[in-house]
Amino acid sequence: MSLIGYTCSYVPVELLSATGLQPYRLLHGNTDLSRRAEKHIRVDACPMVKSNLSYVLNNQDKFRVLVGSTGCDMSRRMFDIIEETTDIPTLVLNNPRTDRPEMFNDEIDWLVKQLENISGIKLSDDLLVKEIEKWEKEREFCRQLDNKRRAIPSLFSTTEFHKVVMHYHQGNINNHFVSADETNSKPRVYLLGSAVTYEAHPILAILEQDLRIVGDFNCGLSRFLNINITENNLSGIKSAYYNQPPCIFKRPNDKFYSFIEKQLNEFKCKGIVAWTLDYCDNYEFELKKIEGFFNLPVLRIRSDFSFQNLSQLRTRIKAFAEML
Amino acid sequence: MKPQITQIFTDFTPKKITLKEWSKQFRELDMDFISQFFYYKNNDWGRYLFPPATFMVYGARQLKHLKFDNSLAALRLWGFIFNESERLFRAKQSNKKVIAVMGDLGVMPIIIMSFPNCIPFYPDCTWWTPFFNESNVLLDRATELGTPEASCFVRSALATFDKKAYFPKPDLLFASTGASCDDYSCIMQMVENLGYELNWLEIPYRRHPAKYLTDDYKKTEQGLEYPARFENYLAQEYKMVWDKMAELTGINDISLLKENIKKTNQLRRLVSKIKNLVYKADIAPFPALEMMVIEFGNLYAYADFDEWFHILQNIYETIKERVEQGVGILKPDAIPIAWVMPTADPILLNLVEDMGGRIVATEYVINQSLYEIDETSEPFHALAKSFMNASLIGSTEERVRRIKEQVEQEKVKGVIITNMLGASHCATETRLIEKMLSKVPVLSIDVPAPLGITEQIKTRIAAFMETLK
Repeated sequence: MSLIGYTCSYVPVELLSATGLQPYRLLHGNTDLSRRAEKHIRVDACPMVKSNLSYVLNNQDKFRVLVGSTGCDMSRRMFDIIEETTDIPTLVLNNPRTDRPEMFNDEIDWLVKQLENISGIKLSDDLLVKEIEKWEKEREFCRQLDNKRRAIPSLFSTTEFHKVVMHYHQGNINNHFVSADETNSKPRVYLLGSAVTYEAHPILAILEQDLRIVGDFNCGLSRFLNINITENNLSGIKSAYYNQPPCIFKRPNDKFYSFIEKQLNEFKCKGIVAWTLDYCDNYEFELKKIEGFFNLPVLRIRSDFSFQNLSQLRTRIKAFAEML
Repeated sequence: MKPQITQIFTDFTPKKITLKEWSKQFRELDMDFISQFFYYKNNDWGRYLFPPATFMVYGARQLKHLKFDNSLAALRLWGFIFNESERLFRAKQSNKKVIAVMGDLGVMPIIIMSFPNCIPFYPDCTWWTPFFNESNVLLDRATELGTPEASCFVRSALATFDKKAYFPKPDLLFASTGASCDDYSCIMQMVENLGYELNWLEIPYRRHPAKYLTDDYKKTEQGLEYPARFENYLAQEYKMVWDKMAELTGINDISLLKENIKKTNQLRRLVSKIKNLVYKADIAPFPALEMMVIEFGNLYAYADFDEWFHILQNIYETIKERVEQGVGILKPDAIPIAWVMPTADPILLNLVEDMGGRIVATEYVINQSLYEIDETSEPFHALAKSFMNASLIGSTEERVRRIKEQVEQEKVKGVIITNMLGASHCATETRLIEKMLSKVPVLSIDVPAPLGITEQIKTRIAAFMETLK
């Protein structure tokens, strides 16, 4: 059992890694995994939650512990099912939706205690410094790629970027094989919405046949780059994770919109691709506002991870690109 | 509190009757009698006892398909319920403060009602409106505003804010989020997007202790454990509600809250007594539909505490008399069933009873509003502790624990779960609930949109009842 699984951008990877276990973000999504989970969860659940559940159940021997948060309701409730069906310890921390930093800070303190209990390792200041430096170095490396991605013209595709950051999310860092730069002047778009899973590579590739994704706000892509720990201690971790650009589920969510608006301007985006998974409430309820707020064309793509409508999707993407 | 009835009304033999039969029966009541029942203690414009057909004419078309208890107490209940919208507008006209509370289902109104002339209400409860009205107007409008079609019917609340016809503009709005369902958290955000100013509260997740965890835990009276500091967080949130209300009204007397907690406990005790009588009687003395309405009255007393309490006293006396006489509204051999999740479509409760079922246990996601609140503790902490019983903030096992006990004790022969397609907690909890209660047959139904009860659903219920027989 070498993995410590986690589900949320607000869970500090440095703390997980300090236990000596390999942090592994649960970001799975394919129809096979999703379907298999329907023994435990209804068909109308988020397909990523279903896939993650299947993945954990199929790989129970790999996970020493799982860490979640109250971010998405379905994701939080997935831990209930895991608790009922496996012996894997689960730690679910309160990630406040409203601006309650004291609650978040207390929860991180609690998480540290639990991780120390489970791993038998004291998360000392020295250890945290090392972990912060290790992960910050990795983020810095990915930031450089991200800079190329957003450059004008864009020099690095999101399809390739996804391959690299997958290593970060799977805790397999220092794996820096990166493809060569590739100048591209296709219409510049911004991707936002539900998580981009490990298996989402083909979707990104299809999108980038006609478009260039130069920025994103998706779990599974570049959100972790917004974590910038300036004070190398626990307090710095708390502050960096709490103050990251807010997830759309924060209430009120006006800061999310301001952040995206700023990025759209900075990256000179001509359009937005709104990627939502079936039953992803946090984004589906906001799509109408997203379409109206940013004053840019929006291409909606809704997915259950199947590729049944691939031709239709290609046509829609081409039409969108032409419009841009 | 004295019951208001000065002229004795003799109920007919207990049974469930149709709207037409109620209209006929209503003619037995004379005007003097009718005029004894009014809300906000105002006999000039506060009367609410009408033949139920009146409410059908005003839009509640489903009434003609439902069956009701034939007692005066039930008539009062229905008149009072369907009068709520008028009541809220009247409140505003008579200079009361009307406060919208959303998401927490049961605690914030206790704070609001502590302030004189302040009326809380739950826009959440308009999720029944499309079904009572047999109309998709609200749901369609919610879709136009951007809600997904596969989401909880509570999206109709968004449309009521947009249409501005179902309740007056609230003087304040409080919205609870955190460890809550995503659907309603998103809807509340959309309400804010419409231009309403929301005061947000954070609800913590009731993380239960396990052997490998360390934390300082406390326990509710109902045996649910929670980290002690969560009570502090919540108490601070409730204090924030209090402060906002104090600012609005200019009143800041905490003894009013203590008094109102006592009043709330009276209500909760009475409802508990009613449930005990009804669910434990040999013959079901009161229908499941009315019982659901009674249980939900604990949330905010349908915006007039005193009158709702009088109605409940009337209901209690009616039921007590029936139990003493050994009479009821269902056959003695009706099969005891537990119901998990309130049904958005009320007619399902009628259907199950018509097919030989009898509801004897419920989990309507409002556990937080059912139990007595500690009257001796500091009031905000007492409220916080009480909320820690909430249905949706903890594990599924904790949520259905009481139902499971009844299954184990063989008091329940079957379980019905009513879901909503796409609702975040239904999607993730239902299979687990089915598994946890699998000692008895479990029927899980996706409640369709208004007028969507098909023969297929009826056949499934009928087959389920056959299995139980």
